[in-house]
Amino acid sequence: MKRLILILNLVLIGAMAIGACATPTTEVASPVAPVATEAPAATVPPAATEPPAATGEKVHVTIFVGLGTGTDPAQIDSENALAEKFNSTHDKIELEFLIVPYDQARERLLAMISGGTAPQLLGPMGIETTAQFLDSLEDLTPYIQRDNYDTADFYGPAVSLNTYEGKNIGLPLGLYPSYIFYNKNAFDAAGVDYPTQDYNDTTWTIDKLREVALLVTLDVNGNNATSPDFDPTNITQYGFDNSWDSLRGWEVLWAPANMGRPTSADYKTAIINDPDWVTGLQWYSDAIWKNHFMPDSAAISGLDPANGDPFAVDGLAMWMSNSWYMSESLNELAFKWDLAPTPFNPKGERIAQVDADGFSMPKDAKNKDEAWEVMKWLLEPENNLELCRIYGCMPARKSTESAYKASLAEIYPEINLDVIFNAATYLDVPNHESWVPDFATINEALSNAQSQILTADQDHDAKSVLDKTNVEVQKILDAYWATH
Amino acid sequence: MAATNRTSPYRPLALGNRAQEFLIKLSANLLLAGGAVAIIIPFLFMLSLALKDATQIRSDPLSIIPRSPITAEVNGEKLPLYEVAIDGTKHQMALLKNAPGKKGVFVDPADPDQTYTFLLADQKPLYHIDIHLENFREALTSQPFGKYFLNTMTITFVGGFGMLLSCTFVAYGFSRFRARWLDVLFLLLLSTIMLPSQVRLIPIYVLFQKIGWIDTLLPLIVPAFFANAYDVFMLRQFFKTIPFELDDAAKIDGASSIQTMVYVMLPQARPAILAVAIFHFLYAWNDFYEPLIFLHSQKNWTMAVGLQTFNALYAINTHLIMAASIVMIIPPIVLFFMAQKVFTQGVVFRGFKG
Amino acid sequence: MLKHSRLSLRQREALTGYLYISPWIVGFLIFTIGPMFASLYYSFTDYDIISPPVWNNFANYKKIFSGIFEALITHDSSKLGDPIFWQSLKVTLTYAVLALPLGLIVGFFLAVLLNQKIPFVNLWRTIYFLPSVIAGVAVALLWGRIFNPRVGILNPIIEAVLHVKGPGWLADPKWAVPSLVIMGLWGVGGGMIIYLAGLQGVPTDFYDAAKVDGANLYQRFIHITLPMMTPVIFYNLVLGMIGTFQYFTEVYVITNGQGGPVRSTLFYNLYLYQNAFRYNHMGYAATMAWILFIIVLVLTLLVFRSSEVWVYYEGELRGRE
Repeated sequence: MKRLILILNLVLIGAMAIGACATPTTEVASPVAPVATEAPAATVPPAATEPPAATGEKVHVTIFVGLGTGTDPAQIDSENALAEKFNSTHDKIELEFLIVPYDQARERLLAMISGGTAPQLLGPMGIETTAQFLDSLEDLTPYIQRDNYDTADFYGPAVSLNTYEGKNIGLPLGLYPSYIFYNKNAFDAAGVDYPTQDYNDTTWTIDKLREVALLVTLDVNGNNATSPDFDPTNITQYGFDNSWDSLRGWEVLWAPANMGRPTSADYKTAIINDPDWVTGLQWYSDAIWKNHFMPDSAAISGLDPANGDPFAVDGLAMWMSNSWYMSESLNELAFKWDLAPTPFNPKGERIAQVDADGFSMPKDAKNKDEAWEVMKWLLEPENNLELCRIYGCMPARKSTESAYKASLAEIYPEINLDVIFNAATYLDVPNHESWVPDFATINEALSNAQSQILTADQDHDAKSVLDKTNVEVQKILDAYWATH
Repeated sequence: MAATNRTSPYRPLALGNRAQEFLIKLSANLLLAGGAVAIIIPFLFMLSLALKDATQIRSDPLSIIPRSPITAEVNGEKLPLYEVAIDGTKHQMALLKNAPGKKGVFVDPADPDQTYTFLLADQKPLYHIDIHLENFREALTSQPFGKYFLNTMTITFVGGFGMLLSCTFVAYGFSRFRARWLDVLFLLLLSTIMLPSQVRLIPIYVLFQKIGWIDTLLPLIVPAFFANAYDVFMLRQFFKTIPFELDDAAKIDGASSIQTMVYVMLPQARPAILAVAIFHFLYAWNDFYEPLIFLHSQKNWTMAVGLQTFNALYAINTHLIMAASIVMIIPPIVLFFMAQKVFTQGVVFRGFKG
Repeated sequence: MLKHSRLSLRQREALTGYLYISPWIVGFLIFTIGPMFASLYYSFTDYDIISPPVWNNFANYKKIFSGIFEALITHDSSKLGDPIFWQSLKVTLTYAVLALPLGLIVGFFLAVLLNQKIPFVNLWRTIYFLPSVIAGVAVALLWGRIFNPRVGILNPIIEAVLHVKGPGWLADPKWAVPSLVIMGLWGVGGGMIIYLAGLQGVPTDFYDAAKVDGANLYQRFIHITLPMMTPVIFYNLVLGMIGTFQYFTEVYVITNGQGGPVRSTLFYNLYLYQNAFRYNHMGYAATMAWILFIIVLVLTLLVFRSSEVWVYYEGELRGRE
């Protein structure tokens, strides 16, 4: 018997060995320790670092894609093609786009960092994601200064969006300004004129938006929301929605004192029940529960079945969103649509919140100099444009504006594209996704507040909801500052 | 085996009992049929989603049959056609735009300058069947699913072999022997699945990273050779239903413990072994989490990981996910169908009477 | 060989037993025990994964368990150290209480029905088995659509058959967890294999003997089928319990990892996941993991204890002491 068990153990080990040999083993090319580059003023050629023994081995730079867009199969092919283009023109650095499906990207990234194999670059990431990972990102200011990197071609605000207390954590890739998409069919069905497309028209205010939205909200009998016969339980077409925005994104429209930042400037006091915040949230609450022109969460899920989107289903007249929404399938919509500006708020200001994508560098990664070279290459005008074509953003470089406009005009011949380009000037600073301490926890508390306003049979009084949330957020801030 | 010399605790099987039995069976089976219909409906919905394109999914979500509006070209635009009733006769007209009061402005494609306004609800939209079989091709070719398939097969079969081997041994140990610490060890075995795996992810990843197994298929295969709680538990339960008299008989014949295991236990527990094998297959087939974390390059992905990428941040390709999922259902279902023979044997030979 | 061994028969048996279990023990020592202790260590630290863990004594545990007394007295949940923790526990328990009994009962009866020799039984079994084979992400998306109050097929069917307006399902906090229970029941056929395997193990001569004795269907079921199936039922109960407490993947996909609306689907494991990988609070997540571990361990022990009363093994080691 003992012999038999011994034999079986050998079989076990043998099977394992076979299993190991049968599998393709590709280890990540272990990067050799880089030597610091020499000429500080060198610009164009990639300042490749050669290991002392000059083995000619390429330095591997991995771009971790998955924290934002970029993981769709169609995009993967384009990204790999871009990597090919880089690799064929650079013999010292090897670039690879590492694709990780969005739902699991965070675990994978954190696992890689803790395992000592942090990727060299992260991106494209939105501001929210960079805020979440802020402490783990490298400050690029020394690199920019060392190379005298010229950031003048970028839109000024785009660079400042990624700068916190002097720490620059990413070069901007593209901007996603926000504006209103409107459904011409819906307006026709209500017999209302289309909204203005003129950014100088000061009559297009939030109040006017509400008026129009009331007129284009129709129930099953064709009555609009201003009619006494209006049946709020049977609405077939809603006037306005903004549900893909966070609470901070909602509030920024009213230009509160701290704009998109829910705390004081020193990040120690929560100001979520600021009067402007209350006014703003109450407007939304009334929009859903009193005026009925905005859908509540049940109706939104009806318009947005398992992540379709509220606008494309032809039941919504006006949809405030950002340009990342403009993927190509917007051309196959069953109705005609166009764009309109964000309205002016009661203070007479216009704030059209902006999202932005960029690349960042983890602090713990190796080969940071090579990573910097790759980042610069990615943001050269031609490559910047290509990346923005893949991801759907407006390139952050002013010099590419006309080329980008031309490519957009090809895809959307009938839309007024000036609305997009004019929107970028009204961006929100501090941004509605900018960093706060314990970012994700506070975010969840805010989205819970938003969820209460959106869900039936919850507290819909903005002041009381925001007061409670303010206490919650203050508690989180206090806990953070107690240990930092 | 008739018990002829003792009083039966049951009343004799009267005719009334038979009828009762028949009624119970009939209603139970009607329930079964009804349940099957309820189970199938979502699947039909899934099939219809897989055969539609993105536009149909948005604008025509409730129709099980994929269809698209019939369109006519008017002034360079494609407009949907409706069947419109004017004074009793039916005409085909194109909808130009909506109008207030739930009306629509229609034009006759042959004479586009003349517009008519009718109530929308009274007119019948015209559709043609529009099935998009190419969704299947597109879903499977958008990524190298062939390579993924090979990776999945490697993990499934090598891992499955290791699992069956180790779990049989371990379950035998837990069910057929008396030892002081066995119960504690069994509880320990179960406790390994009581701790949520999220908190073990980082240490395990670092471990595999240190021994260089990341981006190989090894982290997904090797641990299978060391048994796992689910399968050991199941096999142990089945082994424990086998009477000891069989073991004793084998021992009298001079069998060692391993011979007992192979010649007595395994044949009796064949359905359980098959069940365990099927479960492992399903698990390896659909598991995306571990491959996603431990594999680096796209060429090492499994099919389930490939499926995950259709669920991207801004672009959820519902039709592609459904199409790819349906194709991925086929091998497990075929396997299940073929395994039915073992589950319908009916007579289980006990080898021991009295 | 055996006669000359210095070990007693008992000791030889124990040793052989341990030898058979050794593959698992080795694997446990290599792959499992390290990470388990690591996570226990994390539960006493602040750990954001990127920087090394920082010991914080029992701060995590204190946060969870503080404020219980005050909150109970004042009925004010904001007095709790972490109200969200208790919310997640409540959601999970609600789900477990609904899903576990339903799953066990429906699964068992389904298998009994599918164990008959009726025409096309293979086809019936395949139909019921089908949902459990579909990839989780597809199931979640599919049911997200089905439950949709406007474009899903469930509410129209309800309105047509029952003439009442269907609820908001996943969008309604009161209906969100029941929706998930229903979605889980769709896959109840997956467990049928185990029951079928168990039913195959019931010797048909038992049934024959009972029939001869005049037992009817009901009596045969209660006195033969049920007792013989208790080992399998026990298995499903224990694993079902462990599984429902760790319910995660489906709700993660359906709610985009949010647990909404208003935290009504914020399951324990989801909140744990958020802490671990979104909030940079891995230490706190480890604390939650070990608290769950204790809860499930205690419940499992109770079930094991009770099994001595109601579970019947023919291969029991009784009478061999």
